[in-house]
Amino acid sequence: MAESSPLNPLEMRDAFGQTLIELGKRYPEILVIDADLNTSSKTVLFKKAFPDRFIQVGIAEQNLFGIAAGLALMGFVPFPSTFAAFTSRRALDQVAISICYPKLNVKIPGSYVGLPTSRAGASHNCIEDLAIMRALPSMRVADPGDNADLRAIMETAMETDGPVYFRVTRLTLDDIFPAGHRFEWGKGVIVRPGQDVSLFGTGMMTSLCLRAADLLAGEGIQAEVIHMASIKPIDRDLIVDSISRTGCGVAAENATILGGFGSAVAEVLAETVPAPLQRIGVRDQWVDSGGIDELFTLHCMQPENIADAARAVIKTKRAFTIAT
Amino acid sequence: MNPHLTLEEHEFLEEKAYEIRRLSLEMICYSQWGHIGGSFSMAELMAVLYFHEMRIEPNNPRWDKRDRLILSKAHGSPALYAALALRGYFSVEQLYSYCELGGILEGHTDMKRTPGLESSGGPLGMGLSVAVGMAVGLRLKEDPRARVYCILGDGEIQEGNVWEAAMSAAHYKLDNLVAVIDYNKTMAKGLVTDLMGIEPLAAKWASFGWEVLEVDGHDIPAVAHTLYQARWVKPHGQPIAIIAHTVKGKGVEMAEFNYKWHTHAPDPQTADQMLREMAITYRRPEQGYSRIDEPVKKETFYGGE
Repeated sequence: MAESSPLNPLEMRDAFGQTLIELGKRYPEILVIDADLNTSSKTVLFKKAFPDRFIQVGIAEQNLFGIAAGLALMGFVPFPSTFAAFTSRRALDQVAISICYPKLNVKIPGSYVGLPTSRAGASHNCIEDLAIMRALPSMRVADPGDNADLRAIMETAMETDGPVYFRVTRLTLDDIFPAGHRFEWGKGVIVRPGQDVSLFGTGMMTSLCLRAADLLAGEGIQAEVIHMASIKPIDRDLIVDSISRTGCGVAAENATILGGFGSAVAEVLAETVPAPLQRIGVRDQWVDSGGIDELFTLHCMQPENIADAARAVIKTKRAFTIAT
Repeated sequence: MNPHLTLEEHEFLEEKAYEIRRLSLEMICYSQWGHIGGSFSMAELMAVLYFHEMRIEPNNPRWDKRDRLILSKAHGSPALYAALALRGYFSVEQLYSYCELGGILEGHTDMKRTPGLESSGGPLGMGLSVAVGMAVGLRLKEDPRARVYCILGDGEIQEGNVWEAAMSAAHYKLDNLVAVIDYNKTMAKGLVTDLMGIEPLAAKWASFGWEVLEVDGHDIPAVAHTLYQARWVKPHGQPIAIIAHTVKGKGVEMAEFNYKWHTHAPDPQTADQMLREMAITYRRPEQGYSRIDEPVKKETFYGGE
């Protein structure tokens, strides 16, 4: 299959399937386990390349994660794959106690995350996975910003002992990072420097933050855009450093604002350099069926909404500065 | 290997079962927490598995050819811990650290702390899936000898996850997997038949594609013979379910089939009586609670109880 290029863009799930094959060649201990969704998640690519290392468990997600635990205990590195909604809701107990509690070496891709998941509706549009996975002790959580980032996260996940949850967006994203990009746990990246406001993005929202920064630049506002694929652990130092320079921030995630990435940024700020922060994400609502663009508009997660939030926090910052 | 125990083997295993029961009660009384009923019902099963059937090397707990045992009913941990200590994975003295902060024996199983444990558990219904994963892993590693044993409670098979696992084990033809159901007829708040019936139990497992064996789970020679069959006679492309008919709280009359002793720690005087009764029942030298002179552990928080 072709690499992503401007003429032939690759959905992130295809990049995921390809990367699984690349890693599969290097790591014979990788097994992929599927619960009847391999053509949606694109683990089908691994299945074709390594049929003997692909295990089908049928529509049984609790069994999926239990079997993954058993295989990890036998020295394999399983990738149990299903939709994020079923990982974080249906099989949470198995993920928590069979995998995370004994710190087993299981790498969990969450497919169909946030708003862009076709038109399946609230049952499949998973917005709570970041909050739930972040709450599990010993789990690491990452949401990639583009295909190069996804590859880098998967590479690093293989070099990391212990459970990892990472998201795979069902969308073709803008390329942010060059080929050969490296990912480190607990490290964010400044993808656009600025001094007026910090825009913290995770996953696909970093692209939208960059577009918001373009809008703001037209008004003379220089926004700093920081990509934080590593949600747990989070880069506290970079958050503090950026906010110390800009004095205010916006945190954007393709998920509920309750308990996930924006909450993580807010926690860091509250404990270090309190500053005005607005969060972009789903505001305590179910995400119904609809077009992707419609849903981003309905949930106020478009670049314009991020720019609005940036203007609002800048105002709050000024009011606060004058008051003190 | 002989399917029938010698008289010496039988006596040896009886003593181990008695010690497992006795030490379980010592631990539960000393820590003032734990599950007597479900520990006592599997004492003979633990004794025969750990001292007769399983191929293990306590000096090399991670020996890669070993048989593995997963305690899905992880609240029965005292009986398992007692078996592991008696088998030499750690000292009998360490059993008294059960449920102590910083100890090696959690209330529910934590494989990261306890030598000899193969998995972590607590929430019911999850262990058989992990066992299926291990049995598949043994296949992939082309190890035809090692077996995976999974001990399930009868109440816990009300969990849907058990049947997902059962379906998959038959689909994968895992004849290296043995599920042992500790059918003690009693749950936390009443009898299985009253709360949520599970019969016809043998037919359920058989209809899921398992080879089913039934045994009196307190009859040591019968248990040994059934486990022998599960290893040598029965495996032909099907996973094996052993329905072990047991008595919850077996060994102490007041606890037998009595759900009130599902989770309940006796005070030292009651434990002492129970242990003396147990010694008579199992024809052992008179023996009471070993730490009866020590103060009873009490929860203190903000000075209260």
